[in-house]
Amino acid sequence: MTERRLAWQLLLGANAVIMILPLLVMLLSATRTNAEIFASPLGLPTRAALANVVKVWQETDFPLYLANSVIVTTGSVAAILVFGTMAAYALARYRFRGAGAVYLFFVAGLMLPLKLAIIPLFIQLDTLHLLDTRLGLILVYVAMGLPSAVFILTGFLRTLPGELEESARLDGACELMVMLRIMLPLARPALVIAGIQNAVPIWNDFFFPLVILTSDRLKTLPQGLTIFMGEFNTDWGVLFAGLTLAALPITLVYIALSRQFIAGLTQGAIK
Amino acid sequence: MTRRRPLPPKVRRGLWVACLLAPAAAVMTLFVVVPVLGAFADAFRSFQGPRPTGWVGLANLRDVLFVAPYAAATWRALGHNIVVLLSLMVVQNGLAYLIAFALLKALPGHRVHQVIVFLPVVLSAIVVGILWKLLLNPIFGAVNETLALIGIQGLPWLGDARTALGSIIAANAWHWMGFPALIFLAAMQRIPREALEAARIDGATDRVLLARIIWPLVAPATTIVVVLTFIGSFNWFELPYVMTGLEGSPGGATDVLGLLFYRTAFGAVSSGLEDFGHGSALAVLMFVVVAAVSAVALRVLRAREIEL
Amino acid sequence: MRKRLAGLAALLGVFSLGGGVARAENITFWTWRQEDKGAYNKLFAEFTTAHPGIHVRFRAFPPAQYQTIVSTALAGGKGPDVLHTRAYGGLEQLATPGYLVELTPQNDPELANLPASARAALAVRSTGKIYSFAFSSQTLGILVNRQILAAAKVPEPGTWAEFIAACKAIKAAGKICIANGTATGWMDEVLAGDLTGPMLGKQFFKDVVAGKTTFKDPAYTAALGRLLALRPYMPPGYTGIDYPTAQQLFLSGRAAMFIGGSWEIANFRRQNPKLAMDFMAPPAPAANRPRLVSTFYDGGYAVVHASKHQQAALALVRFMGTKTFGDQLGAMLGDVSPIKGVKLADPTLAKVAAMASESVPYIMAVSFRYENPTGSELLQGALQKMFAGSMTPEQVGATVTEGIARYYKPFQGK
Repeated sequence: MTERRLAWQLLLGANAVIMILPLLVMLLSATRTNAEIFASPLGLPTRAALANVVKVWQETDFPLYLANSVIVTTGSVAAILVFGTMAAYALARYRFRGAGAVYLFFVAGLMLPLKLAIIPLFIQLDTLHLLDTRLGLILVYVAMGLPSAVFILTGFLRTLPGELEESARLDGACELMVMLRIMLPLARPALVIAGIQNAVPIWNDFFFPLVILTSDRLKTLPQGLTIFMGEFNTDWGVLFAGLTLAALPITLVYIALSRQFIAGLTQGAIK
Repeated sequence: MTRRRPLPPKVRRGLWVACLLAPAAAVMTLFVVVPVLGAFADAFRSFQGPRPTGWVGLANLRDVLFVAPYAAATWRALGHNIVVLLSLMVVQNGLAYLIAFALLKALPGHRVHQVIVFLPVVLSAIVVGILWKLLLNPIFGAVNETLALIGIQGLPWLGDARTALGSIIAANAWHWMGFPALIFLAAMQRIPREALEAARIDGATDRVLLARIIWPLVAPATTIVVVLTFIGSFNWFELPYVMTGLEGSPGGATDVLGLLFYRTAFGAVSSGLEDFGHGSALAVLMFVVVAAVSAVALRVLRAREIEL
Repeated sequence: MRKRLAGLAALLGVFSLGGGVARAENITFWTWRQEDKGAYNKLFAEFTTAHPGIHVRFRAFPPAQYQTIVSTALAGGKGPDVLHTRAYGGLEQLATPGYLVELTPQNDPELANLPASARAALAVRSTGKIYSFAFSSQTLGILVNRQILAAAKVPEPGTWAEFIAACKAIKAAGKICIANGTATGWMDEVLAGDLTGPMLGKQFFKDVVAGKTTFKDPAYTAALGRLLALRPYMPPGYTGIDYPTAQQLFLSGRAAMFIGGSWEIANFRRQNPKLAMDFMAPPAPAANRPRLVSTFYDGGYAVVHASKHQQAALALVRFMGTKTFGDQLGAMLGDVSPIKGVKLADPTLAKVAAMASESVPYIMAVSFRYENPTGSELLQGALQKMFAGSMTPEQVGATVTEGIARYYKPFQGK
């Protein structure tokens, strides 16, 4: 019994090493100059560790970009989760004509290459007066994120047992109450997965902001950091510093949300 | 004048379902479906820069499928996508399944491990690509420096046609493994504890538990993971783009359909020209193939869920 | 009295005209040159002093996404007022569909400041109409670390044989001779174009463009074949060495030479001002032949057709066509402006400009980047295979010729 536990412990330990070492290299690189990174990526910093961070701070409007990114990402993810859960709930818990077709419509959205459609999308946003607005960007992200959210959430909601739902209905609860009070709390891990899965690419994207937003005051964080990507010279250390800083908030959000899993984990633990 | 009667329950339920579906469907239609259909129409057009100049019927589709030099690039890229799919399915998802089980055991430190497994997922593909490019650098890279410690002469991983694709796949597995692990974990937690305890009492080993008891019970999660991996592998773009460039260096050894269609449509930086006609033709083909395979796969996987 | 009135009227006319201009106008300039923000903003401030009321906003995009963003905006009827464009085919694909304003001697008299070749590089081939004002001419050559050469006791190699001998000596001295690897496609094209230019000579380029010969020509494949002799002198694992790594090998003094272009001079100086760097022409194939550099035009400044401030935009492009502007581009950014008579204070840049006066065109960029698949794309992938040993120079020549033959009649059936 203990040997078996040891094997699994070792697997997790080895995995942790492989996951963390490259991250350490990333953190180290974030403190160094190009010359140092390329001379020996594992060396220690030779100057003020925060010089790159200071440069990011001075040359970009970091707090403003951060605020914009927070607004855009939270707005998008909230809308994705609300609309996505509604649609997934309908698809998973009700039988209706055309359900299969509607489901395929959403799943097909997973495979549509929106980058290819950037010109029609741009014209569409212009027609709706949404160019150079946060709302326009958010709507694009929501449209892109909904398919995967609907797909993941439908898959989870389907597996929830039907008895709870039926007994609640018999007690006279309306459909909305059944959904909000009974079913959704059970789907929390799925909501976390769908939320994180969408939040990460939205938080990190710089392509759509570059195309859609022109005002400086609307710039998002990754978009703002692209100034360090030059034609013949990219400042890797500064870019790493900026991107590492940019990854911090979302990492903290994940760590906070991971309790959603751990709560369930200890209940279902097996020996 | 008609008195308003309460709607019959069936209609009410129908309206309720429609209300649930409407917002998602509307946003998706406006900002994904309509623009993409517009772009798909470009597959049947000829272009001058970004401006369409006329309809050419199926000529673009024929070019990318059968006419040199387009066709060779298309089939090569398709082959690479299949390699990516199979490797990720086995390496990334297989490992994720085992890690999820290890986490489920709530061993000491599992909270920390759960966070660690998922840490790379929050990074952008740009960072991951640049980072692994540094690690794999033939002169300065940490990977070769580590290998040298145990007396192995490392390769120029990303420059060698035999190892380049595999290296990017490994970086992808490192980046994304936490995601399927979390999906599996969420599914494993919902397995009633009694079922697992009972199997244990019957003397089931971990191997039996994983293969016979848990595997069928997490079938819905497997469906999600398989389909997302499939779609992800065929839309693979950012990581190879950062690590080996838009042209899939060296000599196309890492060229995949995502790179090919983007490069064809928008033109390689300073050395290529835009060609929305052929680029869209590729995108249409990709969509048709991925949609068809996904539809079949979903049907099979759903049937399997019910069966198991 | 009448004269006075007329004078007053004229004065008023000027005044009202002036008033028209003085009304604040904000125009935007888009570029992929992220690194150049400071210099351009300084130049735009000078422009505003000369044209009160016109303010220019500098907006740079990541070079990799630039083309996509520009095409999207132009196709959507938006975009900047003044656009930094590429030359050759990159310009044609925006100019032919009518997104740019034609520059003529009437609306842009500064065109006369350019040599004919610079005007042609930014014109549409079929009509000869010019759409962009050339901003920089680039020269391919070799950046050398004088210190390493001196330490290895090798003089500047003037011929191919001396070049190989120098590499041997530098390698023996424990340094890498050539910093370049082959992992970055466009750098492979630079390396090949740079070093084969003097081997092929001017006549070959005329013949290939006229369709009298193709890239299957034994002269061409033999020139490519000679490049293979450089492999022992490139960095270890050179197939995995990309552009940034090669830069750092050279900048850190681990490699003696960097086969590249004049655009690196300012870039490298910024990154390591202490480097004993010089720029030299590629070696001649034999002692009695010239050391020819290859040249091309990088791009230009264009007025966007959809601009609501075309007059102001034109004023800016005219300003960018003056000799003082060209002088400052050289002084601040190390760009060699093609404007006639520009002063290059930097001795290295002056040397480059002198070399460029007798040159061959950088063949794929100048002549085969007008249609897909471009000669550049075909060549880059094939070169990577050639350096890795999975393709022969003859196969490279055949691949490039057959790809171009798709749209280039003279190559068909050859």
